[in-house]
Amino acid sequence: MSLTDSLSAARNRGSGWRPSLPKPEALLPYAVPAAILALWEIAGATGLIADTVMPRPSIIVGTATQLALSGELFTHLGVSAARALAGLVVGGGIGFALGVANGVSRLSETLTDSTLQMVRNIPHLALIPLVILWFGIGEGAKLFLVALGVFFPIYLNTLHGIRNIDPHLIEMGRAYGMTSRQLFRRIVLPGALPSVFVGLRYGLGIMWLTLIVAETLSASSGLGYMAMKAREFMVLDVVVLSILLYAALGKLADTLTRALERRALKWSPAYAGR
Amino acid sequence: MQAVNLLPRDISVPPMLRENPGASVSIRNVSRSFDGNRVLSNLDLEVRPGEFLSIVGQSGCGKSTLLRLIAGLDKPSSGEVLIDGQPADQSGDRLRIMFQEPRLLPWATIADNVEIGLRQGSDPKAIHEALTSVQLSEKAGMWPSVLSGGQRQRVALARALVSHPSLLVFDEPLGALDALTRLTMQNLIRDMHAKAGFTAILVTHDVAEAVALSDRVIVLGQGGILHRVDIVRVGPTSRGSAELAAIEAEILDAIFAA
Ligand SMILES: Nc1ncnc2c1ncn2[C@@H]1O[C@H](COP(=O)(O)OP(=O)(O)OP(=O)(O)O)[C@@H](O)[C@H]1O
Ligand SMILES: [Mg+2]
Repeated sequence: MSLTDSLSAARNRGSGWRPSLPKPEALLPYAVPAAILALWEIAGATGLIADTVMPRPSIIVGTATQLALSGELFTHLGVSAARALAGLVVGGGIGFALGVANGVSRLSETLTDSTLQMVRNIPHLALIPLVILWFGIGEGAKLFLVALGVFFPIYLNTLHGIRNIDPHLIEMGRAYGMTSRQLFRRIVLPGALPSVFVGLRYGLGIMWLTLIVAETLSASSGLGYMAMKAREFMVLDVVVLSILLYAALGKLADTLTRALERRALKWSPAYAGR
Repeated sequence: MQAVNLLPRDISVPPMLRENPGASVSIRNVSRSFDGNRVLSNLDLEVRPGEFLSIVGQSGCGKSTLLRLIAGLDKPSSGEVLIDGQPADQSGDRLRIMFQEPRLLPWATIADNVEIGLRQGSDPKAIHEALTSVQLSEKAGMWPSVLSGGQRQRVALARALVSHPSLLVFDEPLGALDALTRLTMQNLIRDMHAKAGFTAILVTHDVAEAVALSDRVIVLGQGGILHRVDIVRVGPTSRGSAELAAIEAEILDAIFAA
């Protein structure tokens, strides 16, 4: 019996029974990456692509296993993830708080918004030389850069979300006797949430990008450091492995955020039934 | 159509003896200008407890402005608006408003939306009663986005009624509904008013609606009241009867004379 046959047989057994294997449709998005990996492996094994140019998947898996067994892999992975998280919490937290403050208070907005809009036009990576002078090459520099990168998308989208709340709903809340606190908790915050999530997902992309740059420039641990050290010693498989791990971490963060978003916005018709 | 009582069932209470007899509204010499542009000038109006009053008039004549003053959402430039002898903004949950749009919170379930009408936190029994009275009790756990326009407006009505207000003001609450749903909602509002005994003030574009629901219709225009019609019902008058048609014609004349 082929895979498809057994799956459809399983489905015919009734709706109460869930097949333990994923449905064939669910595997479709993975078909292209799998094919690329297979071709890559074949090209490497037949010598079409030299392992000194691009090591093939099986070699990288071997290297990953080795590094995992020695514990080195997890140390670097943990350090990078912790830096990313710290930058996200600091930059995202400040961005969210300022977005909320400027969304609800005219005074706060007048005071800070135009300044922030000016700073926003400076690419944050252009600050690297300055940041290294200020913080040296320690953790401070990386935290600063990541936080700064994450700050703007979250600030802008929080502000935008609050500004775009239907004023009719606010008026209804007032007419129904809500206090400012209740207005904020029951109308402003949930109304701005979809936009905050847009900012968060955008910010996550910038977070990884900034971290990669910061870690490859100066670090004594982390994935970027692992890649740079490996480059010096021409250990190509570790370089490729670091790149792949960055991609995996990015994908993981995005998947987690999407799940969170689906939970938090389950009222929205855009998520209904998904 | 079966509407569920907000008062204990099978007890017919004369209006003056009801627990909640409806609020009186006094509008005294009220004017309201926007940037020097006078929309209402020296307007006087008394609404009796339990009365159903409709306000009609051409677009832009100040109906919504007047209603917002009564609801305490806006302050008169001069003059005063009193509800049971007190300023409008001190009425709390005894005064409720219904807008043209349902204005439900999309992120709150139907029951949670109705709960907004309660001053003092959650009261599942009161919410259930209010939703039952608009025949939506089985939708309590759903999101507003899955309801039809008419159903959403019924949820808004339940939200307005859940605190048993003594004054309910409506700003074209049925304007966005189709003709059939509108008739159903009119009957619902009329039954609610008859049973719960609140004072009702309705702004509408639909003269037939005003005549079908009200005890009194006033025509607003040129900053004041152009015309008043008392509608005395002796026994049940059916829609489209000759008497009502004559009253409708009279009101339309007054509107277009402005
Ligand atoms: N907040 C405001 N600022 C400035 N002008 C206003 C404001 N609110 C109302 N007006 C003006 O007051 C006049 C009356 O408006 P209002 O909304 O009360 O009319 P309406 O009778 O309810 O009209 P419609 O039947 O179209 O709803 C209009 O000319 C309008 O432009
Ligand atoms: Mg209006």
